[in-house]
Amino acid sequence: MPITISIPTILRPLTDNQKRIEVDGSSVLDAIERMEQRYPGVKERLVTGGQTHRFINIYVNDNDIRFSEGLSTRLTDGDLLTILPAVAGG
Amino acid sequence: MSMNQPLTGCVMKGPKSITLDFAPIAASFLYQSAALGIQTSANENCAGDEALCFEFETPRTAPVICQITRWEDPSRQTPVSENIMQAACGLMSVHGRTHRQPKPLGLNYVSTLTAALALQGSIAASIGRLRGLPVSSSTVSMAAAGLLSMSQYIAGATASEFPETAKAAKTTGATCPLPGSFSACPPFVSLDGVIFELETLDAGPWQKFWGELGVSSAAAGKGWRAFLLRYARAAAPLPDELPLAISKLTYHRISQICAKTGMAICPVRSIDDRAQDDDARQLWQQGPWSFSSFSSEPKPNGEYLRAGGALPGEDLPLSGFTVIESCRRIQGPLAGHLLALLGATVIRIEPPGGDPLRGMPPMAEGCSARFQALNRLKTVREIDIKSAAGKTEIRELAQHADVFLHNWAPGKAVLLNLDHGDLAALNPSLVYAYAGGWATDCAEHVSSNSMPGTDFMAQAYSGVAGKVAGAGSSRGGSLFTVLDVLGGVVAAQGITIALLNRCMNNAGAKVTSSLMSAATLLCAEDFRDIYSLPASGSKPSASIINEVYATKQGRIAVECPDMDTVLRLAEALDITAGIENKGFQRCLSEVFPLRTADEWAELFQQAGVPSAVVIEDLAEMQALAYLQPGLTPGSYTQVNSPWRFK
Repeated sequence: MPITISIPTILRPLTDNQKRIEVDGSSVLDAIERMEQRYPGVKERLVTGGQTHRFINIYVNDNDIRFSEGLSTRLTDGDLLTILPAVAGG
Repeated sequence: MSMNQPLTGCVMKGPKSITLDFAPIAASFLYQSAALGIQTSANENCAGDEALCFEFETPRTAPVICQITRWEDPSRQTPVSENIMQAACGLMSVHGRTHRQPKPLGLNYVSTLTAALALQGSIAASIGRLRGLPVSSSTVSMAAAGLLSMSQYIAGATASEFPETAKAAKTTGATCPLPGSFSACPPFVSLDGVIFELETLDAGPWQKFWGELGVSSAAAGKGWRAFLLRYARAAAPLPDELPLAISKLTYHRISQICAKTGMAICPVRSIDDRAQDDDARQLWQQGPWSFSSFSSEPKPNGEYLRAGGALPGEDLPLSGFTVIESCRRIQGPLAGHLLALLGATVIRIEPPGGDPLRGMPPMAEGCSARFQALNRLKTVREIDIKSAAGKTEIRELAQHADVFLHNWAPGKAVLLNLDHGDLAALNPSLVYAYAGGWATDCAEHVSSNSMPGTDFMAQAYSGVAGKVAGAGSSRGGSLFTVLDVLGGVVAAQGITIALLNRCMNNAGAKVTSSLMSAATLLCAEDFRDIYSLPASGSKPSASIINEVYATKQGRIAVECPDMDTVLRLAEALDITAGIENKGFQRCLSEVFPLRTADEWAELFQQAGVPSAVVIEDLAEMQALAYLQPGLTPGSYTQVNSPWRFK
């Protein structure tokens, strides 16, 4: 089932500078792995030790996957997966 | 070796009498000067109402004029005050985002920033003189200081791709509206009425904490996004479910849940509470920086004066100096940015792949506008600081640098073997700077160090949030990054002071500053009162009128410090009711809607009444003639250097 991934600027060197990518995927991890097949190096920038990197937030249609089922969060046709850096002060 | 008061032997001459609007700046300026060991004295040459002037003299240089003006355009002499400048530079509207209307901060914020930048400018100018630059004066305006505090917010509001706007759907729809205000924004209130902040930099503790309180995962997730973005947007519209759950528990119970889930908690304390802490008085006395020397074998005189060779006349005071910066977020990067604005070459260390904040919307030409506002002048080296090769690379960089600046978590420098002792052994002339959250980089020195050293926690702990609440402009604190910005200025200032000391005494140093020390600077006069010590200057009394009024179009901030100004205001408004009359305030509210804020501002300028149109849309600032000298339009609007050297 095709979903759209919005690629942050910082990852675009790895995705031929594409801002949006369409991939198939039944879960967030599945989608990331399919993206990795096309654009090697992307996965390690997003995932470490089976978890999302601390400084990366992944949203499915505006919902943070950490508060759903994490990388196992299920995807349905037409979902928008957005990757954003976390921000903090100090 | 401790070396506080590193500028002992230097002299600052200033005016005998100071106009009312400059009084808070002068008080902070003299407090900072005294903390550095600078001798202060009066000088008739410094008299005048158009600018606040000091003369700074070191044992090795002729006097440098330190000039503080109201506006960037010296011909504009519209009288100002702290609140007027907060209104004119957008700070009032950013602070007021959580209330849906502009609000004054209730702190002498722009004044304190102006004083710190002015002192730093005169110190930098003296470094320039020592290095052969023909510089004799440094000028800073209150407007430039105010704009500097807004630089990230202005960048966000003017970014070329989906800029944030305070007014939803204002133009073509190609903008990202800022969230409206919610009563559900931090700080939180417990069942027993304790106002407090929560903090975590990871989603895990947040998720566990709200789970313990019975909040749904979906609501906690929506709250997490808003909570994270509060640093960038000065707003945090949490779902109502969150504060409702909090309001059913006592503070004690909430603290227990925090301990269990890894969430940090800090009550909003008063300045009086803070003044009773063991370290508070010493921190107030030493000023916002702690200096220590680590050079046991000073090099011959002049060794450190001409980094990179002799300076051409068009260079800036720190041109030729190299700064290595390993900082994230706001405070540390701002410090590096200020040093770059003074001419230093700043090499920024970022993790492999670059700082994730480069991708933080809104974007301008492929990079976060907000990120660029603090980092556009730096060159970047991607280094994994945890790897052996990375640490070697950092040591090599530090060996040939003038300054090493970091804001790592407490204790991390020791773990990495990149502490001041490690780098001083390689480069005794190095200025090693730590810009932290709390007052020390020791991991467990004070209880506060167990909490994340972030702006809102430091506001709560330091008494700043309590003071903001006391002024009636919030429940506690501001979601504008009050201490990150001032902390960045203080860190850059401390480094500049250490560089001057190095130029004069040929010794490297460690300089430590923090959000807490910036908070102490911001409330220095309050601590002075609590400790019952004499004021450093005349203490201004509260203004008779200090309000924001709605007009036919826009809002206007008006301040009348004395009765003469009130009379001029009444005349300009054509109000005949006596000012002692209870109906006077009502008359004001009725009269203001008859004209636009712009029309009133022009009228009040002629009448000599301190006033300013309240900036509510930061994107409109670049069109205002009186702010233009401080801004450069482009793919996002850049805030220019606050310093002008001659």
